Amino acid sequence: MNATWWTGRSGLIIPAVLAAFCTYLLVGIFTMEVPAGTSMPGPKFFPALIVIAGYGVSVLLTVKYIRTPEIAEPATYNEYEDVSEQARAEAEAAARVKYRFFSDWVGVAWAAGGFLAFAVLLVPAGWIVSGALLFWCVARSIGSRRPLLDVAVALMMSSLVYLAFGVLLGLNLPSGVLGGL
Amino acid sequence: MDALGLLLEGFGHAFTPMNLLFVVIGCLLGTAVGVLPGLGSSMAVALLLPMTFALDPAAAFIMFAGVYFGGLFGDSTMAILLNTPGQASAIASTFEGHKMARAGRAPQALATAAIGAFIGGMISCIVVVFLAPALAIMSAEFGPAEYFALALFAFVATSSVVSDSVLKGLASLLIGLGLATIGIDSVSGAERFSFGVPQLFDGVSLITVTVAILALGEVFHVASRIRRDPTSRIMRSKGRPFLSRAEVREALPAWLRGTGIGLPFGVIPVGGADVPTFIAYSAERSLDRRRRHPKFGTGAIRGLAAPEAAGNATTGTAMGALLALGLPVSATAAIMLAAFRQYGLQPGPMLFERSPELVWGLLASFFIAMIVLLIINLPFAQLWAKLLLIPRPYLYGGIALMCGLGVFATSGSAFELVLLLGVGLLGFAMRRFDVPLAPLLIGMVLGPLAETSLRDALLSSGGDYSVFFAGPIPIVIYALLLGAIAISFLGRRRGARAEKAAAAEESKQSVDA
Repeated sequence: MNATWWTGRSGLIIPAVLAAFCTYLLVGIFTMEVPAGTSMPGPKFFPALIVIAGYGVSVLLTVKYIRTPEIAEPATYNEYEDVSEQARAEAEAAARVKYRFFSDWVGVAWAAGGFLAFAVLLVPAGWIVSGALLFWCVARSIGSRRPLLDVAVALMMSSLVYLAFGVLLGLNLPSGVLGGL
Repeated sequence: MDALGLLLEGFGHAFTPMNLLFVVIGCLLGTAVGVLPGLGSSMAVALLLPMTFALDPAAAFIMFAGVYFGGLFGDSTMAILLNTPGQASAIASTFEGHKMARAGRAPQALATAAIGAFIGGMISCIVVVFLAPALAIMSAEFGPAEYFALALFAFVATSSVVSDSVLKGLASLLIGLGLATIGIDSVSGAERFSFGVPQLFDGVSLITVTVAILALGEVFHVASRIRRDPTSRIMRSKGRPFLSRAEVREALPAWLRGTGIGLPFGVIPVGGADVPTFIAYSAERSLDRRRRHPKFGTGAIRGLAAPEAAGNATTGTAMGALLALGLPVSATAAIMLAAFRQYGLQPGPMLFERSPELVWGLLASFFIAMIVLLIINLPFAQLWAKLLLIPRPYLYGGIALMCGLGVFATSGSAFELVLLLGVGLLGFAMRRFDVPLAPLLIGMVLGPLAETSLRDALLSSGGDYSVFFAGPIPIVIYALLLGAIAISFLGRRRGARAEKAAAAEESKQSVDA
C-alpha cells in the first residue's frame, strides 16, 4: 500500500471538526439577540471563552499531527496474557494485511445508512418496519452472511420491542403502515 | 443511640411480609427498566410513579426505594456488558467495566459493581442515619465560587491529568462544553445557537449524546474493524461470578475511596451522582499511573469499583438530604419530592417529627432494598453475562435498535434520532483517533454548572474576579488542582524516561544476541 502524505495524518479531522464547531458557535454569538437589560457577564460570555480555547486547541492539534503523524496499529493480543497461541497468531497475521483505509468504510456505511433510514422512515413507515430495517442493516454491517434469516430475526425483534414497550408499557411508538391492519 | 433505636423500630415497620414483597417487586421492576440503554433509574422512577398511587404512602415509598436502587443496578449492568449507560452516573463505570467484559471477565465485573454499589449504599445509609444534621451545615457552605472551583477541578483532572494526550482531552472537553451551551439561556432567556430550530430550544439532551457517543459510536467502531481484526470478534466469558481473594484485595481500597468521595456529594446540589463517579474514576486513574504496572485501559477492577461505590454513596446521602432538608439534589430526588407532595407530605426537618414511622421505615427499607438487590444480582450476574453469547451481528443489531428506542421514547422526535446519528459518527471518529470520550461527557454534564456559577459569582461581586479566591474551600480546591497537575507532570516525565531506558536496554540486548 502506498503511503501518502495523509498516512497517519487523517486524524486532522479532529481539529477540523473542533474548528468547524467553534465557527458554528462564533456565528451564533454574533447573531444572538440578547434581551435588553441583561447584566454582564451575559449569555455570550462563556461561549466566547469556549470559542477562543477551541481555536487555540485546534491549531495546536493540527501542528502536532503535521509534525508527528500517528500511524494506526491493528490490535493484537499484546496486553493480554491468557490467550491461546493459535488466536494470537491469527490476530498477528490479520494485523499484517494492508488495506487502503484503516477503517472498513463499507461496514460503517451499512450501519450509518441503516440508522439514517430508520430515523427518516420511523414516523411514516412505523416502528416495526423501520426497526427491522435498522436491525438488518446493522447485522449486515457487523458481518452477518445470512440475509434471509436476518430478515426473520429482525422482524421478530422489532415486533417484540413494539409489543413489550408500545403495547405493554405504553410508550408512544408510531404504528405507521401496519397501523390500519 | 437514639437514632439506632428509631431505626430498629423502622425495621419493625418495614419487615411486614407485604412491604418485603413491595421491595422485591420494586427491585425487579427497577432493574428491568434500568437495563435498557438510555433509560436509567430516574426514568424507572418516573415510569412507575403513577403505579404507586394505589398504595398507602409507606408501601409506596418502600417500593420506590426498590425501584430506585434496582434502576441503578440495572443501569450499571448494561453499562458494563454493552457500553450503554442509561444515565450520567453510570458513564464512569463503562470506561474500565466494559473493557473488563471484553477481556472475558464480565461476571467478575458485574460482581465488582454489585458489591461496590452495596458497600457505598450501606455506608451512606448509616451516615445518613447518624449525621443528617451535620451534612446540612456543610451544604450551606457552598456558593457559586465553590461550585466553579469544583467544576474546574473536574475539567482539568479529566481532560489533562487523566487522558494520555492533553490536547485531545481538551478538544473532547471543549466540544462537550459547547454542546451544553446550546438552547435557551436560563439566566437571560436569550436563544443560543439554535438558529431557529425549535427542537434545539431545550438544548441537546444529555441522554442523546451519551447514547450516541458510547453505544452507537461503538456499533460503528465495531463495524469498521470486525472483518479485519479477529481481536474484536471474540468476547470470551469465563464462568466465575464470585471474586477471587486477590481481586477483592485489589478492589477493596477502591470501594472505600469511592464511598469516601461519594458521601459528601449527596447534599451538594450539583446534579446527582454523576460528578462523584467521574471524580472517583479520575482519582483511581491518577493513583494507577504511579504503580509499577498501570492497569487502566485493559479493564482495571479499581476503575470500576470506585465509581460504582461513589455513585451509590451519593445516592444514599442524597436521599438523606431529601428527607432531612427537603432539598432535591438530583432528577430522581426531584421526582420523589413530587411524590411526597402527592401524599400531602413535605420533606424537611419537620417530617422526622410528624411521621417518624414513615421516615425510619423508608430508611430501613433502603437497607433491605440493597440486601435484596445483592442477593438477586450476584447469582444473576452469570445470567446477564450470557447476553454476550448472542451472535455478534444480532447483538449489535439489538443494541442499535435499543438506542433508537431509548432516544425516541424520551424525546418523541425523529430530529433527535438524526442528531443521535451525527453525534454517533463523532463518537466513532473519536474512537478511531484515540480521543478520550470521558471529557466530552463531563463537559456536557458539568458545563451548565460551571457557566451559571461563574456568572452568578461575577454578578454578585460586580465583575470583581477576586471573588473566586475569597473563601477557604475554593483555595483548597485550587491547591489540590495545582498539586495534581504537578504530580501528573512529574509522573509523565518519569514515565518517558523509564520508557527510554527500557528501549535502550532492549536494543543493547539485541546487539548482544
